[in-house]
Amino acid sequence: MTGPDEPAALHATELGFGYRARGDRALRDCGFTVPRGRITALVGRNGAGKSTLLHLAGGLLRPTHGRIRVLGTAPDSAGARTRVALLTQDKPLYPRFTVADTLRMGGKLNASSWDRRVAERVVREGGIALSARVGELSPGRRTRVALALALGKRPELLLLDEPLADLDPVVRTEIMATLMAEAAERELSIVLSSHVLPDLEQTCDWVLLLRAGRVELSEDADALREGHTLLTGHVDEEPALREHTVVHRRRHGRQLTALVRPRGPVGGSWHVERPPLEEILLGHLQDGAAPKEAAA
Amino acid sequence: MRGTLWLAWRQQRALIGCGAVVLLAAVVLAAYSRAGMVEDLRSGLFDGCDPGPLYCTRSPDGLPRFLDVEPLRLLGALNLALPVLVGMFWGAPLLGRDRELGTHRMILSQGVGRAQWFASRFALAALGTTALSGSLALLFRWWWEPAVNRSYGVFWYEATALTGSGPSLVAAALFGLAAGTLAGLLARRVLSAAAWTLLVTGAVAVLVQWTHRARLLVPPQRYVSDGWRPKEPMGDKWSTGHYGLITGSGRRDSVLECPYPSGRELRECMTGHGYVSRYYEANPAGDYWAFQWTDTALLGGLALVLVLVTVLLLRRRV
Repeated sequence: MTGPDEPAALHATELGFGYRARGDRALRDCGFTVPRGRITALVGRNGAGKSTLLHLAGGLLRPTHGRIRVLGTAPDSAGARTRVALLTQDKPLYPRFTVADTLRMGGKLNASSWDRRVAERVVREGGIALSARVGELSPGRRTRVALALALGKRPELLLLDEPLADLDPVVRTEIMATLMAEAAERELSIVLSSHVLPDLEQTCDWVLLLRAGRVELSEDADALREGHTLLTGHVDEEPALREHTVVHRRRHGRQLTALVRPRGPVGGSWHVERPPLEEILLGHLQDGAAPKEAAA
Repeated sequence: MRGTLWLAWRQQRALIGCGAVVLLAAVVLAAYSRAGMVEDLRSGLFDGCDPGPLYCTRSPDGLPRFLDVEPLRLLGALNLALPVLVGMFWGAPLLGRDRELGTHRMILSQGVGRAQWFASRFALAALGTTALSGSLALLFRWWWEPAVNRSYGVFWYEATALTGSGPSLVAAALFGLAAGTLAGLLARRVLSAAAWTLLVTGAVAVLVQWTHRARLLVPPQRYVSDGWRPKEPMGDKWSTGHYGLITGSGRRDSVLECPYPSGRELRECMTGHGYVSRYYEANPAGDYWAFQWTDTALLGGLALVLVLVTVLLLRRRV
C-alpha cells in the first residue's frame, strides 16, 4: 500500500454508483487503493461492476455515493484528463477516419503531451497502413489503433476495459506485449479488466476483485499467491479448516480440495500446493452464491 | 480548444461544403433569373401596372401580366424549409453521431472536457448556419427587390417572403440547429434524432405561420373611411379579411349588413341602419419588419433556451 503522502493510482472511499434506468446499484461501498506503477488486474464476473468502476475512474460517470480519486485528483478535473487514458470496451473510433487522421486527432486533442512516435510505433507493429480507413480494419487492428491513441497521449494511468475480448490468441499476445513494453519503458500504471485469467497471471502484479458490486480483494499479486494454499485430503480432515478462511471447496467422492487462506499452521494430513494466481482468482469468483446476472 | 475545433472542422467540412454548393447554386440561379426579371421590367410591359394586390392587366387584350417570379418563390420555399434541413442534417448528428458510435467516450478520454466537446462543435455549426441562412436571406432580398410588393411580383406578406427573408430566417435556422442538437443528445440515434427534429421544427414553423395569419404578435391597424365615400385602397397592405360598418355610437357590425361596394344601395342601406363609416383591418407594408423582429426574438429566444437545456443535460446524459 502507498503511504498517505504519495497519491495512489486509484483511491476510492465508500464508492457507490446506481444506474437510474436499472434501479439497482452497480457498485456499493467500495473502498480500495491501487498503488502507482502497478499493472492491476480488475477481475469480476459479468455485472460485477468492472466497466462501471473504470468509467468512474475515467470521469465518464460520476459516483452517486462516496468518491474516487485518480492520481490524487478528481477524475473529471482538467488535470486528471491529461494524465489518465481510458480505453472502453467498445473501443470507439470514427469509422470514416483513416488511421493517420485518427492519430492526427490524438495530436490535436493532446497538443501538450502527444507522442507521435509512440502512437505510430504501436500502429506499425500491427502492420497497419496509415492510409487505411478505421471502419475497414479487423477488430484486432482497431483495438491496436485505439491503444495507439491511448498510449500516444503518454498517460500516467491507463485504464483498459476488456481490451482483449474478441481477439484471437496471437493478437492478444501481441497487444499484451506492446502494453508491457510501454509500461516497462516509463512510469505507467495500468488497470486492466479481463475475463482471460491466464493472460493476467504473467502480467499483473496487483489484483482488484469485484463481486456483485463490492470490492473483495485489492492486494499485491505475490502476497495473494503466498497467502493462499491449495489443500487436498480426505473429507474427514475438513474440521481442521474451521480456524482458517476457506475461499472455495470442492468434493470428489471422499476427496476434498480446498483453497484456503491459512491463519496459521493447518492441522491434519493434507497434500499442500501453492496455487497459481488464476486458480486463486477463480476460487474467489466461484465462492458462495453466484452474483445476480446483469449486463457487464 | 484548437484541437476540438480541428475535430469539429474535420467532421463538419462535408456539411459546410454542401452548404457552400447550395449557396453557390442559388446565387447563380438568382443572378440569371434576376437579370431576366430586370430586362422584362425595362421592356415597358409592366409600366402601367398598379401597385395593388390585383393582377396587372394591360389594354387592349385585358390579359394578366406575370413576371417570372417562380424561381424566386422556389428560393423562398427552400428558405422556409432551411430550419428543418439544418436541424435534421446538421443539428441531429452534431452530438447524436458521437452518441450513436460511442465516440464521445473516446473524445472525453482524450483530455477533452464535455463543455469543450460541445462548445467547439456547436460554435462551428452555429457559425456555418448563420452564414448560410444569412446569405440566403440576403440573396432573396436582392433578388426580390425589383418585384417587391408589385401585383406582378411577390408581396411582403407571402410566406416565402415574410419567413424566407430577413433576420428571422437566421433565427429560425439557429432554432432548427439547436433543436437537432438537443434531439441528438437525448435520442442517442441520429435517425430518431432527425425524426424528432423534423417533428418539432416543423410544428414550430406551422405555429409561426399561424401567428402570422392570426396577427397574434403584430396586431393589424383599422382603416376607417367616413360615410360611403371610397375606402382607402388596400394597396400593399395585408388584409385580415375583416371588413365592417360602424354606427354613430361606435358599434362595429359585419359588412354583410350592407353588402354593396358603393352607390345608391350602399348609401340607403347605411342610412337605414344608422351606419356612419366603414372600416377594414390590415397590416401596412411597414409591418414586415415588426413581423421580422418578433419572429427573430421568438425563435432566437427558443434557440437560446434549447442550447441552455443542452448544456444543463450534457453532464447527466454524456
